[in-house]
Amino acid sequence: MGNLDDLTQKIREKAKSLLKSGQVEVVIGYRAGTVPLVAAPFFARSPEDCDNLIWSSFARLNLANYLPNRAGKVALVAKGCDARSAVGQVTENQFPRENLYLLGVPCAGLIDPARVAAKEPRPIQSATESDEAITITGAGFSQEIKKAEVLRRNCQTCAHRTPTVSNELTGPETPNAPPDDFSDLKDLLAKTPAERLAYFKDLIKDCLRCYACRNACPLCYCPICFVDETRPQWLGKSTDPMDTMTFHLLRGLHCAGRCTACGTCETACPVNIKVREFNRVLDKSVQENWAYEPGLTWDQKPPLTIYQPNDPADFIK
Amino acid sequence: MSDYLVSEKTLAGFFTALATGRRLLAPQGQGDDCRLAETTGPVSLDYANTHLSPKGVFFPQTEKILAFHKLADKPKANQYQDLGDQAQPTVIFGLRPCDARGLTVSNRVFQNDRFTDPYWKGKYESAIKIGLACLNPSPQCFCAAMGGSPFGEMGLDVLAYPKDQGLGLKALTPAGEEILKKAQAEPADLAADMAALEKKAIQSQGSLDDYATINERKIMELYKADHWAKTAEPCLGCGVCTFFCPTCHCFDIQDEQNEVGGVRMRNWDTCMSPLFTLHGSGHNPRPSKVERVRQRFMHKLKYIPLKQDGVRGCTGCGRCVVMCPANIDIRSVAAVMAQASA
Amino acid sequence: MSDFEPKVVAFFCNWCTYGAADLAGVSRLDYPPNFRVVRLPCTGRLNPKFIMEAFKRGADGVWVSGCHPGDCHYIAGNYHARRKFVLLHTLLETIGVEPNRLRFSWISSAEANKFQAMARDVVESVRACGPNLTFRKAEFKLDLAEVA
Repeated sequence: MGNLDDLTQKIREKAKSLLKSGQVEVVIGYRAGTVPLVAAPFFARSPEDCDNLIWSSFARLNLANYLPNRAGKVALVAKGCDARSAVGQVTENQFPRENLYLLGVPCAGLIDPARVAAKEPRPIQSATESDEAITITGAGFSQEIKKAEVLRRNCQTCAHRTPTVSNELTGPETPNAPPDDFSDLKDLLAKTPAERLAYFKDLIKDCLRCYACRNACPLCYCPICFVDETRPQWLGKSTDPMDTMTFHLLRGLHCAGRCTACGTCETACPVNIKVREFNRVLDKSVQENWAYEPGLTWDQKPPLTIYQPNDPADFIK
Repeated sequence: MSDYLVSEKTLAGFFTALATGRRLLAPQGQGDDCRLAETTGPVSLDYANTHLSPKGVFFPQTEKILAFHKLADKPKANQYQDLGDQAQPTVIFGLRPCDARGLTVSNRVFQNDRFTDPYWKGKYESAIKIGLACLNPSPQCFCAAMGGSPFGEMGLDVLAYPKDQGLGLKALTPAGEEILKKAQAEPADLAADMAALEKKAIQSQGSLDDYATINERKIMELYKADHWAKTAEPCLGCGVCTFFCPTCHCFDIQDEQNEVGGVRMRNWDTCMSPLFTLHGSGHNPRPSKVERVRQRFMHKLKYIPLKQDGVRGCTGCGRCVVMCPANIDIRSVAAVMAQASA
Repeated sequence: MSDFEPKVVAFFCNWCTYGAADLAGVSRLDYPPNFRVVRLPCTGRLNPKFIMEAFKRGADGVWVSGCHPGDCHYIAGNYHARRKFVLLHTLLETIGVEPNRLRFSWISSAEANKFQAMARDVVESVRACGPNLTFRKAEFKLDLAEVA
């Protein structure tokens, strides 16, 4: 049996013992999805429920999203980015640390269905996976694809696949990807402002303003989001491209210095917008200016909550 | 009404004829890029379904309905003027039967014995709807379970299906018959062929639950069932399911203005948002996602069938099933509703 | 383009740049009238959505000015603002807003001359960019209402 099955077994065993002992009230993990290439969030409350828990490289949704405003003790099945997001929420006082049990899963990168579709556009009926590859099956075809060829963009540059903070790891640490060097942004910056504006306008042209990216994001826990404010109303409700742009820019800014590049926003987006492009511009700036990566330890202070008297800002005249 | 054939040779001419004197909308692109777009042909018959439902043709996400200007020296300054239905003669080729059926659900909301929505009416009634039956339904399709069929005829003027590199066509309304005659489709008898293909297509969806007990249960029994908190727990509260649903028709009226004038428009709204039911007083009758998720599924599977002679608000197109980021599958919810105890 | 007069929305801290504008006025230092001032209690109060709102509604430029670092009336408001500005500036510049449309400056209430020079420079920089046609909301198509 491969590593995936080991992880699934370990998650189930641990979840059962945590629930039996009363250490936690709920284990938030993943179950098999009802459609191919998807693992869905699942809330296990009894030892019997735990047999539905799985680990899979389709587990794209960030489960830390379910922590804010939740009462009681929770165990979270957390890959590297989820654990970092959970740490961030504890840091930002959205969830009490003593109520959180991080069941860390060393992640090997997750599958991007859009990249799978690019390789095999025909409708997929089912998908199975081994440690190295996925096998997709449809009407009259079956194809094996190496996972490494269809990883999500953020997983290709993930430097913290194994949770940096957890109560327990369910398996051996996984090798990290080479970190994001933002090289594609360098190409973008070489363009003229007009070309860049055209690029970003084109990026969001299909946006429906369904706010799935916001709602899937573990950072977006504001009781009332700025897009929903009515007095004053900052954002029109129509599909005006500038309102849409404002949403994406401000969403990016609100996540700056907090985003763990979990990619759940892009997973949630039903029209395949690379919404992280805005975040990456800011991630790069955060790393360059303040050498900060969120969610790595419990006692980090997010960069926008602190300052140095000599912070550089040459552009201010 | 009769059946017609268009051969491979005459296919291009057929689409040109459809597009003469009116705009022809047909699905273009593949997979997540498949969308209804204006064309004069050729039209691809090889697509699963459009990524977004076709409701936007009749009910755009943003529709300006009134406008005013602030030019004091011109007549009717600062007075709202009706922009009309902005309909244009249209033929849509390639509506899937599930979507056509879904449009009839919205049609009964926008046009009934109590109300007529002129903006919907103008566009819906001026469009000739040519369906394309599904010979190979997608893996996530379940129209048969929801009372439809891959060869369903509801809401269509013509039902087409791919036949011998050409098209088989069945006229369903006088308008459909007329356009086929004008486009010089050849008369044929396809009843047996279609029946056999329909049977095969339905079988390919597997043995599906028909969720019949939902129809028998009382509203309050379903409403008070104890599963809703669990059903709603993974919901993120985004609007994906409602925006992609072919039968979701709720909208929000907004006014916008600048220094030269203003518009009143209506925009798609979503019952998954807390704002949808937030009262001016601050009270919210659906305060949490449990009430909101319950509303969505009760509306689709109970309230709409009650008001629309048994036609469900879900047509089995499968979009929400595939798109929901949390994989809340309406088939699973319907199954739970069919079994749930109060 | 010669008759183009830029509209600039200016966000000034009450405790410094707003005072500098006042001092420039009573000192009879003339500066261009192309900006509309929004008075803030502190640059720390500047929410990025204010800037977006200005551009959305058709401002050709935005100018944000507050107290020199270390001089904040509220001790650290402008230190926090400075970090926010770094990100805001980077983001808007990266997505293609011309750098000269957005200006940040520190001007104390005693620096009327700096205020005058900066005001002229801001307006001329924005003038050189031309009207903001790409980073604003679409104009309404009001023909139907006008005809009626």
